[in-house]
Amino acid sequence: MAVASQVRVSESRPKTFQLQRSWPKIILWIGLFVMAVVWLIPFVIIVLTSLRSMNDLISNGVFAIPNRLVPENFIRAWNIGNFSTYFRNSLILIVTKVPLGILIASLAAYPLAKMRFRFNNLVFIFFLVGLAIPIQVTLTPLLVMMKQLGIAGTLPAVIPPYVVFGLPFQIFVMRGFFRTLPNELIEAARLDGSSEFGVFWRIMLPLSVPALITLYIIDALATWNELLIALVLISDTQWLTVPVGLLSFQGQFSSRYTELMAGVVLSVTPILIIYVFLQRYLVSGLTAGALKE
Amino acid sequence: MSYRARTRIVPWLFLLPALVWYFIFLVYPMAYSFVISLTDWDGLSRTSNWVGFANYINIVFNDEVSRLALRNNVIWTVGTLLIPTILGLVLAVLLDQKLFGRTMFRTIIYSPAVLPLVAVGLIWAWMYNPQFGFINEVLKAIGLGHLARGWLSTFETALPATFVTAIWTGVGFSMTVYLAALQGIPAEQYEAARIDGATGLRLFWHITLPWLREAHVIVLSLAVISSFKVFDLIYTMTYGGPGRSTQVMGTWMYFNAFQYYHAGYGSAIAWVIAIITLTVAVPYIRHMSRD
Repeated sequence: MAVASQVRVSESRPKTFQLQRSWPKIILWIGLFVMAVVWLIPFVIIVLTSLRSMNDLISNGVFAIPNRLVPENFIRAWNIGNFSTYFRNSLILIVTKVPLGILIASLAAYPLAKMRFRFNNLVFIFFLVGLAIPIQVTLTPLLVMMKQLGIAGTLPAVIPPYVVFGLPFQIFVMRGFFRTLPNELIEAARLDGSSEFGVFWRIMLPLSVPALITLYIIDALATWNELLIALVLISDTQWLTVPVGLLSFQGQFSSRYTELMAGVVLSVTPILIIYVFLQRYLVSGLTAGALKE
Repeated sequence: MSYRARTRIVPWLFLLPALVWYFIFLVYPMAYSFVISLTDWDGLSRTSNWVGFANYINIVFNDEVSRLALRNNVIWTVGTLLIPTILGLVLAVLLDQKLFGRTMFRTIIYSPAVLPLVAVGLIWAWMYNPQFGFINEVLKAIGLGHLARGWLSTFETALPATFVTAIWTGVGFSMTVYLAALQGIPAEQYEAARIDGATGLRLFWHITLPWLREAHVIVLSLAVISSFKVFDLIYTMTYGGPGRSTQVMGTWMYFNAFQYYHAGYGSAIAWVIAIITLTVAVPYIRHMSRD
């Protein structure tokens, strides 16, 4: 959390390692501008492709301005590609799995941040190790377990592993945030006869709203984007999430490039909108020290 | 309950849900997967035979694909340590300058990192498309048409082409971490060095770089860990091909365990990945758990 808190004070810091003269600055600016344009090319290309007809693409190539806009690509992609189903499933995870995981992580982070007990640091390290564990090393047993539970192939099967792989980072961030809250608040509540759970629920959590929002956005994004676990544990077409759905869509539309790119545009647009509006939260959370893959 | 008993039990009550979840859905599957890796289980039948460490011996000595996959992971790691990391650091230093539009530059360069890697893979597969792709069209337009090819279906170019995509999505992360860390360097450091007559690159070399040590630990460790976890991009863009030339450990595990019904062998590959990433993670975890 140290790094993240430094970001917030950054604007008031006197800038020292600065270019003083203006001509190197102009060259630098042009360089950065060129790089930004290069970074944007793939976005421009997929939008241009998604808006034209296949004939237009074949005769005029990928650069040209479409000679007629073809919004039907999006309609066909949405309907034939079942995107409404994939969006629904990913949204279900974002409103169920994400809050569940953050609640479990916050509960664990509270004693790790604010209580003295044996093995405190050892438990913390035990959770942190999860950051380096590759998903593959749990996949085969998870599939067996989900079959035994009778939920293999469906959406609920991914919830337990999604929660587990989110916990290390979330516990790390919440522990860091709780530690910045003054102990006096906790002492005062205890003197008033509040239970430990009351302290957690009525004092710690409400004061942690900024951290909780950040974690919510980061985890919603990770959940929306996750492929490998969903690929193995979800097989029913009615339960596919956006990434797996996009892959099966590619299977059906492999050479219908314009509609395929319309599908890609559909799947990235909500994320890019959220990113542009909420990037302050996102970036400060990501730089809190680590990122789960 | 006495106060002492309360303070002894309460922390564990809070930790209970996370610990239980962790043991059931992480620790137990890992142990189970290790047991499977010592068998020839196919993933479906009721029976399997104990084979000891034969799967591991095959990964290292006999299976040419797994050795190639391991080599590809190492190439990917070296590439990641060099290109996105250094580029991210350079960008961070440049975008720390007071420049017109620098927030916009940061937003644009980081933006690919928020996309699902499946979408990123599909976007770049389209960029590399042999018939209509942007890359070949540009080459033709500037008179280098003889270089145009199926980038993802040619043995020599498939892995580098996939890696270019990884750079596109990966630079933003190291840039962001370094930018945050740059804010932590005290201004006096630069002033003192300047009084001593240091300028430009010397300031960068003697003040900026050493003060970024913590960021280096984070960025470099995560670069190695994520390089050995690579899956999505390869699976989406090349499916391990052409032939098996772009297989990495992550995809080779998936193909064995879930396509070829070699669950035992796949689990052994998974454990090899885990051993590598956990070893690399030691300095990283030490850093994260320090106060």
